Amino acid sequence: KMKGLVIVLALFLCVFGKETFEGLSDSLLDFWTEPIHDSLAVDVRVPFHSLQAVRAFLGYHEIHYEIMIHDLQDLMDEEQREMMKSRASQPRTTDGYDYASYHTFSEITSFMDMLVQEKPNFVSKLVIGKSYEGRPLNVLKFSTGANRPGIWIDTGIHAREWVTPASGTWFAKKIVSDYGHDTVLTAILDKFDIFLEIVTNPDGFHFTHTSNRMWRKTRKPNDGSICVGVDANRNWDAGFSGAGSSNNPCSETYRGPSAHSEPEVKAIVDFVKSHGNLKAFVSIHSYSQMLLYPYGYTRTPCKDQAELDELAKKAVTDLKSLYGTNYKYGSIINVIYQASGGTIDWTYNQGIKYSYTFELRDTGRYGFMLPANQIIPTAEETWLALMAIMEHTKNNPY
Amino acid sequence: MHRFCSVCVVLFSLVWPCLVQPQTPTSQPLGLTSLHEGNCSCALRLHHTEPTSQEGLVMTSRELNPQFYEASRAGRVVQHHLNTLYGSPFRVYVVTQVHTARTEDTGDDGMKYVLEFSVKDWASEGPECKASAEVLYPRGDVHQPPKVQSSPDGLLQANTSDKEQAFYQRYSAAAGPVSAKDIPDSYGHIDPEMEHFWHLAWVASSFIMLNESSENTLYSLAQVAKVTQLNIQDGQLRFELQVLLHDMVSQNINRWKLQVSWSPADGVQVLEMELLPRCHCKSQTRP
Repeated sequence: KMKGLVIVLALFLCVFGKETFEGLSDSLLDFWTEPIHDSLAVDVRVPFHSLQAVRAFLGYHEIHYEIMIHDLQDLMDEEQREMMKSRASQPRTTDGYDYASYHTFSEITSFMDMLVQEKPNFVSKLVIGKSYEGRPLNVLKFSTGANRPGIWIDTGIHAREWVTPASGTWFAKKIVSDYGHDTVLTAILDKFDIFLEIVTNPDGFHFTHTSNRMWRKTRKPNDGSICVGVDANRNWDAGFSGAGSSNNPCSETYRGPSAHSEPEVKAIVDFVKSHGNLKAFVSIHSYSQMLLYPYGYTRTPCKDQAELDELAKKAVTDLKSLYGTNYKYGSIINVIYQASGGTIDWTYNQGIKYSYTFELRDTGRYGFMLPANQIIPTAEETWLALMAIMEHTKNNPY
Repeated sequence: MHRFCSVCVVLFSLVWPCLVQPQTPTSQPLGLTSLHEGNCSCALRLHHTEPTSQEGLVMTSRELNPQFYEASRAGRVVQHHLNTLYGSPFRVYVVTQVHTARTEDTGDDGMKYVLEFSVKDWASEGPECKASAEVLYPRGDVHQPPKVQSSPDGLLQANTSDKEQAFYQRYSAAAGPVSAKDIPDSYGHIDPEMEHFWHLAWVASSFIMLNESSENTLYSLAQVAKVTQLNIQDGQLRFELQVLLHDMVSQNINRWKLQVSWSPADGVQVLEMELLPRCHCKSQTRP
């Protein structure tokens, strides 16, 4: 329990390094900002039982401080109450689910279970592994027959990109609604299974709900570092450790200690290898409004560049037809930046020709904090692009 | 603490009739590019230069794909520049598309990008205008901000002066100082009362984003963490802001604290700005 204070220490730190605070035992103080420079303030959480000692220490050393939060537990309890209030009514069916709002990991998991329950002969839930913190890595399988080739879609690999799992949820419902009614989708599903992993990074996703909305990476601690997490889209074995990722655990693009070191990534790698017959692989991110194909780690064009480029052009044209949303398209390294160890570079090198990455809305106005009223329009237009990719995959067997 | 020289902004609120003119041929040194569609009342006059060459020096010029990142990043720099000059709580510009782009390596001076692009004011939902500009990224070991060429006559826009005056009057006379946080919130929601402070933060952040830009950055305002109104001084509304800036290339989110002043007459000025330290702690509750 967080019964304690947060104290700001200001400006007199030039004389004192962190070593000075070892006058108090290390375990007493939880530094929220590190003492790194003598003119920068430091935020510290002080447990209740240490309050007296810390006040005395600060007073003796004439260190100026301000109390920012008097009782952290109160604040956290209040936050919990707020969240409970807005989560009061849970839907009983996927028809009652609110697709136009952002949901938590447990709500999305409940949605998946409801969908399977409603269409048990069509939808099943596979658990392909566990996250670092022990959350299930759930994949919905849409299948109308055995031994089919597959199409993979994932959303939510980067925690703060909330519109992606929100869209993924909508895609799941769309597939179930349109099968048997939309001729193109029905034809696709009569030849292929669709695999959909909605929350690909559940630990990170949970963290964006409870602690830091801007978190990107996984939540696995890094040996020898105070910094947590690995960029799951730099952890794949394709150009791993090359330019376009970082070897610093504190970086947002930290590649991890080795390729596939993250359980969230390893689970997909294992799935792809054991399935052995995936024909398209789409990994969905936000934001920037782009449809990208390999490579990110090298400027060498991939051998299917011409076909992937033409298909991307068709897909973004279809996407634009709905609401006029403009997408750029091209290889990762040309359109956005050099990125090594990326998902679709690996899947492409495994022989999955139709490997694409999306960057959904918008282009920076709201960025990661896309208003909830844009979830459904985003999902609807993106679906048209996905359909173009899936249809082309079906019509061009390899 | 950084001290940032205040930039005086003179706003034009003239509404010009739509100018129907033939496209200026590229042999002319100064281009007036106008928009021909419908009711557009927007003309943008930005300095358009020819590929210059000094005696004996051959300029290396390279055509860029306008969809690719080099053109996009340079377009973003132009956007920041326009906002520092013409932005307000009622006017925020976005470069919507780069149409053509080329680079000129000027050698010691740096890398110059010459762009044709479309821009619009999304705060007052103005029309989309075509324009051109140049961005020069200086060379050197120490980072220097890019320089953007635009002519003094600048951007013409919809008349927002009434709204600006009303906003100014309202917050000069307000009973208590305004204060808010998390704009937009985690769900992308913005309180209608706070929308113009969000615009103001976009404009103020543009000074920082312009300063911090290089060929390897692409900045946006991710969120306004805090806005607090300070006392009026010299007829300027003043605010302290904490903003989270997102750089797409590094994927970093940097927290900046700034002190900003604004009035309809003097525009947005950044009085102070400071990069705040990143929190790398187990219970990381903020970037």
